[in-house]
Amino acid sequence: MRLGFPVKILGHPGLRPYDSRRWQNSPHLSVSLAYLRDIILYLERKRIKFYRLAPELAPYIAHPDFPSFHHQIEECLKELAEVGKMAKDRGIRLSFHPPYINLTSPQQEVVEHSLRKIIALAQILEAMGLGPEAVVVIHAGGAYGNKPSALDKLCAVLEKLPQWVRSRLALENDDALFSVRDILWVHNRTGIPLVFDHLHFLNNRDELEEGEALSLCLRTWPAGVTPKVHFSSPRTAMKLVEEAGKRRAYPPHPSEHADFVDPFEFISFCRTALMTSRRDFDIMLEAKAKDLALIQLRENVRKFAPDLEVE
Amino acid sequence: MMEMDELAPVLVVIMNNPRDMEIARREGWYRIPVKSAPSRLGAEYLAFYQTKIFGPEGLAINYYAPVKAYRLAKRLELLPEEPEHPRANEWYYKVEIGPLERLPRPIPSRRLRRITFIPTTLGRLFKAKEINDLWIGGEAEESLWEMFRENGLPAERRFLIQGVEEEKEVDFAFFCRRGKLAVMCDEEPLLSGLVREKSAAQDYELAALGWTTIHLEPELILKSPAEAMGKVLKAVEELGGLTSEEEEAWNYEEAGQF
Repeated sequence: MRLGFPVKILGHPGLRPYDSRRWQNSPHLSVSLAYLRDIILYLERKRIKFYRLAPELAPYIAHPDFPSFHHQIEECLKELAEVGKMAKDRGIRLSFHPPYINLTSPQQEVVEHSLRKIIALAQILEAMGLGPEAVVVIHAGGAYGNKPSALDKLCAVLEKLPQWVRSRLALENDDALFSVRDILWVHNRTGIPLVFDHLHFLNNRDELEEGEALSLCLRTWPAGVTPKVHFSSPRTAMKLVEEAGKRRAYPPHPSEHADFVDPFEFISFCRTALMTSRRDFDIMLEAKAKDLALIQLRENVRKFAPDLEVE
Repeated sequence: MMEMDELAPVLVVIMNNPRDMEIARREGWYRIPVKSAPSRLGAEYLAFYQTKIFGPEGLAINYYAPVKAYRLAKRLELLPEEPEHPRANEWYYKVEIGPLERLPRPIPSRRLRRITFIPTTLGRLFKAKEINDLWIGGEAEESLWEMFRENGLPAERRFLIQGVEEEKEVDFAFFCRRGKLAVMCDEEPLLSGLVREKSAAQDYELAALGWTTIHLEPELILKSPAEAMGKVLKAVEELGGLTSEEEEAWNYEEAGQF
């Protein structure tokens, strides 16, 4: 079981996940790839084998107002292949999880923008020469007062995508609208594999037990492709927010991610998984302390559950 | 004028011949061999450390340029007039850059030493008074560097030493009358016995090369700075005190840094 973390590196100040310059300063995918190369070397030093790429890796790639940025993937094929090979040689799994993807929106331009973004990210993974476990994880979108109709629309949009893009997609349960049961319905119609999110499940559970829900999601992945799962602990600490020059304390919401991962909750989740499913999977940790949370969790698992094999 | 992004990553690279300087200036690119590229390659700017060959502009950073793109290319594609070069078929990063800008003031190397790539930030590039100000260490290393500066101790940061099998880098180097002193900050926690053994093995190898090594725990540096400073001063004293400027040239030649 590989543990991963998303995008930002906290354990090595100065490592950037992408070229964040604004359009006036001509950011470039090749600069993002140079940063990614540096990150892969960092992951190797820290023995981390799973990483979520920045969705802005190719700057403004789908932005309708900046067509001059739309050809950077084609311009960087050699550099994409090289950095992809670096990741493969080191056994590092890469994935995307872009925000603001909405394939069920009643506004056609929103759907089209989402599709452009998804296709661009799938193109990047293809150009990197990565295997089928490198996926773009998306949420179902909005319900707009009619969940069955929204799910139907989602399936219709997904079915129109070329097979090479669909084979790069995975669908995740969310914390408010679309539960594991809902995304299973989408899987049954489209064949898109499912990413089980532990915290979202706790916030938006249906009648399923967690082990059963997890097991159902793991089974949606093709044979020979390691499924992935999202894990985070709910935040329990007080939030201090600066408002009009005053600091106010707010209690946390149960859907918020904690800075680190509760090791006991994590171990218990893994034991449930072992009991209910024989399928191995990788875990993307969605903790705010990113790589630092991963490194700490790995130490804690070694200490409290040395029988669990995590890397 | 646009506001400067103080944290924008900068890579200081070596410019060791006028032809490459002309390429950077006129054609807008600089090359770095893939095989020996630094672990921190990505940057928004390149800054150029010019070697002695540049005469009055040498041994200093005078220019920087914005990075436009990183391309992969074989040396032969970059320099087709050198087909017989032994590395003609090796891969390079061709870093495409914008126009060279002169820094408000040059950043000199206080001493003659070998310099490789230095990852730094735009803020540091504009504030640095000398090369040693460019390195970015952890909290303890930065704090120790401040103490050395305040006390007028001429440390060389991230000093490279040619070892028996591989190059060694020490956090701070001091040149003393009866030997050389390496000060290590141990910022990476020594988590396992294996790491400790490696560290001890490096100390032995440095000792064989004439270096005395002292290790300072980050906790000591941050919580008891006077005690940490005292340990360094004591080690310098035991090695006969710091060399004068006239003696330094000999030391560097001896250390194989030319």
